[in-house]
Amino acid sequence: MQIRINGSSITVDAPEDMPLLWVLRDLLNLTGTKYGCGMGACGSCTVLLDGEPVRSCITVLADVQDKEILTIEGLSKDNSHPVQQSWLELQVPQCGYCQSGQILSAVALLNETSDPDDEEINAAMSDVLCRCGTYPRIRKAIKHAAKTLRKGEET
Amino acid sequence: MKSFHPDRRKFLKLSSAVMGSGLILGMNWGCSAEDQNPGSSSANSFSPNAWLVIDDKGSVTIFVAESEMGQGPYTLMPMLLAEELEVEWKDIVVKHASLDPAYGYQATGGSASIRKGWSTLREAGAIAREILLQAGAASMQAATAECKAEQGKIIHIASGRKIPYRELVNAAAKLPIPEKARLKELHEFVIIGQSIPRTDIPEKINGKARFGMDIKLPDMLYATITHCPVFGGSIQHVDASRTKKIKGVIDVFEIDEGIVVVASDTWTAFKGKDALEITWNPGKNATLSSSQIADRLKNLPPEQGEITWQEGDSGAILSSGKTIVQADYIQPLQAHIPLETMNCTAHFRDDGKLQIWVPTQSPSKAYETAKLTSQSIIKRGLNKLFGSDDDIEIQTTLLGGGFGRRLKQDFVSQAVQIAQRFKQPVQLVWTREEDVQHDFYHPLTVHKMRGALDKNGLPTAWELLVSGSKISASGISPPPYAIPNTRVMIKNVGEAIPRGPWRSVFAHYNAFAMEHFLDEMAHAGKQDPLDLRIRLLEKHPRLQKALQAAATSAGWPGKAGSSYLGIAAFSSFGSHVAEVVELRRSEKQGLAVHKVTCAIDCGVVINPDIVKQQMEGSIIYALTAALKSKITVRNGQVEQSNFHNYPILKIDETPEMEVIILSNEEEPGGIGEPGVPPLAPALANAVLAATGKPVRELPVNLSAIKL
Repeated sequence: MQIRINGSSITVDAPEDMPLLWVLRDLLNLTGTKYGCGMGACGSCTVLLDGEPVRSCITVLADVQDKEILTIEGLSKDNSHPVQQSWLELQVPQCGYCQSGQILSAVALLNETSDPDDEEINAAMSDVLCRCGTYPRIRKAIKHAAKTLRKGEET
Repeated sequence: MKSFHPDRRKFLKLSSAVMGSGLILGMNWGCSAEDQNPGSSSANSFSPNAWLVIDDKGSVTIFVAESEMGQGPYTLMPMLLAEELEVEWKDIVVKHASLDPAYGYQATGGSASIRKGWSTLREAGAIAREILLQAGAASMQAATAECKAEQGKIIHIASGRKIPYRELVNAAAKLPIPEKARLKELHEFVIIGQSIPRTDIPEKINGKARFGMDIKLPDMLYATITHCPVFGGSIQHVDASRTKKIKGVIDVFEIDEGIVVVASDTWTAFKGKDALEITWNPGKNATLSSSQIADRLKNLPPEQGEITWQEGDSGAILSSGKTIVQADYIQPLQAHIPLETMNCTAHFRDDGKLQIWVPTQSPSKAYETAKLTSQSIIKRGLNKLFGSDDDIEIQTTLLGGGFGRRLKQDFVSQAVQIAQRFKQPVQLVWTREEDVQHDFYHPLTVHKMRGALDKNGLPTAWELLVSGSKISASGISPPPYAIPNTRVMIKNVGEAIPRGPWRSVFAHYNAFAMEHFLDEMAHAGKQDPLDLRIRLLEKHPRLQKALQAAATSAGWPGKAGSSYLGIAAFSSFGSHVAEVVELRRSEKQGLAVHKVTCAIDCGVVINPDIVKQQMEGSIIYALTAALKSKITVRNGQVEQSNFHNYPILKIDETPEMEVIILSNEEEPGGIGEPGVPPLAPALANAVLAATGKPVRELPVNLSAIKL
């Protein structure tokens, strides 16, 4: 089966009902996407499917054909994406395990909303769990990244 | 500067042959054992377990022996060493030290890393600097007193001539460890005290960071395990026929702890597990329940407690009929649930070597576990591949959260038992359900509290009995308050539910009982909870100051009618923390936590931003515990299984936060755990302020509270 990941077309030999999470991790060695619950309840496995955040642990291979998949590995080559830069600036991660899901959810939010308020951040981010408690910094980093992105549009 | 005499048994300069050319310095410092008590320590051994390598290209590599689970050792430990070494931070490369059992005990827990490394790592840096200074001075034919070390160079002060470290390392490697070296005074620090960005963050934002589950090896197989759902139960019958029909399932077999499915990928292993048809023999815990345990603890007669500390005669005061305040507090079983579930990868290689990759808080314990397991395998004649039981290599990966769970090594034993059947490496991954139901839990505890007040409403006596499983006498320190008649008792009640250290261990449940009960006494005696604490803490000025700082910043005592403040303070792991919880009522949410203000005195601050991170994280971890977490056991099994029925705090439930760091020149204290204990009692005290009713059982459901 052909799928498109991070801008490349890739052939995968896997059953159609295999969750995308395990295709990425176990077949393609794209281990930045994490397993946390297996039931779409924690958000650690979040990837973007045509720009929309989805839980890859409950999204099967058949559902991703003809769609563009973005994983954390494809966000930038050098941590240069404004959301990554903001995460660095505000020193968001602690253990780091959930952060791929946090960052991609934030990217999806900022693609839709250039100046998200607290309610919009809550709506977009509240199902991505972090056990270390990085939430206050995630909120700040999203607002900071939004500012950078808006500046970029103006210039 | 102050001089010190290096302990030559502690520091070991190795020949450059060990790790290529350059100056190599080994060192040793102790690490705490698995169940840490606040303030406890363990003996140092003399084998090195972390390394400094300066090579002749100018790179300075610092090897860190602590496990990175979010608390920042890859930045903090090198900061200590680099401060004395006089190198530029940008030239430092941080690597994780691998484990060699000969190098001493490696374990990360008890908020101990900085406290253990504070002297030793700075001394290690100072010794290396001193040796380089000697080499540089000799090379310039000058006395060491005429030279100084600065930014990776030895400088001849009068002439300004400079030699970079990289040109001196081979000469330095031939010099002995000096008799004497100097440590900087606090005001001379240029690295310590700075919010230096964490070295581990760049790889944690692009998917490159390697956690245990991210180990990928050629031909690797994937395994998962089903434990008997009833604690202590066993397998009666397994029908694996459905599992074996699944394409990609390679094998199904029993090990000591349960049934294992091995497959070509993790998903297939999980599917295979779900398809197993198992009849369990529940054994002697078939009717065990957490509510029965709670009832048993509640009904314990106080005289059954073992007195661990007392002053005055609380018994006489409490039986004299003065104003008595009484409370029983129940705190539930809790799971750790780090986001990365338990996992371990093991490979019995053709040459007889056992290689293990594991996210563990204790590589040393992982080694011991692997060794015991492999010895048992050899005894039972099961080994087909194993060479010698000493030929074990442990590689510690990043940890996707620890919180005490990864001080236990059950998953290592399992991975060894599984891998010994295969030529290929095998990665064992637990499902979240197994992780929630087979944890080593925060214990269920009951505190029985009694206190007496004098005619002015001031406490004259209090008694505390804490009961539960594995309640340790060393885990409860005397209350800091100057109440003249005080008695502390414990009662250890054995039960079959596995228990283990959970972020802040004993401090968590004891702080809740002591600090909430103090407010109950203040409430009964019509005292302001802050004033009463300040009055009773004259001998604890650091805790007093933390209380005052948090209270002032939070606007104590708040505005009546719109917000309700609760305050609590607790000293643990060498640090002193006060927290104020502000509850507000809204039409939409009812009562909710609006803000938490935290003041921490952790002595000398190594990296302020990492202290702040740890306080933010501790507050959220403790809020999850106080508002949500309760593991219940029925018919011998845990009733919760995943985040849908064992939820943790989300971003939209996270209050505003303010962290105040009180800097001073005291020895550094821990930061990973001390922020946890004051939160639950501060929350309960805010509920008491809002409603006049105490919180006798955790977790507390704020939305059910009517004002």
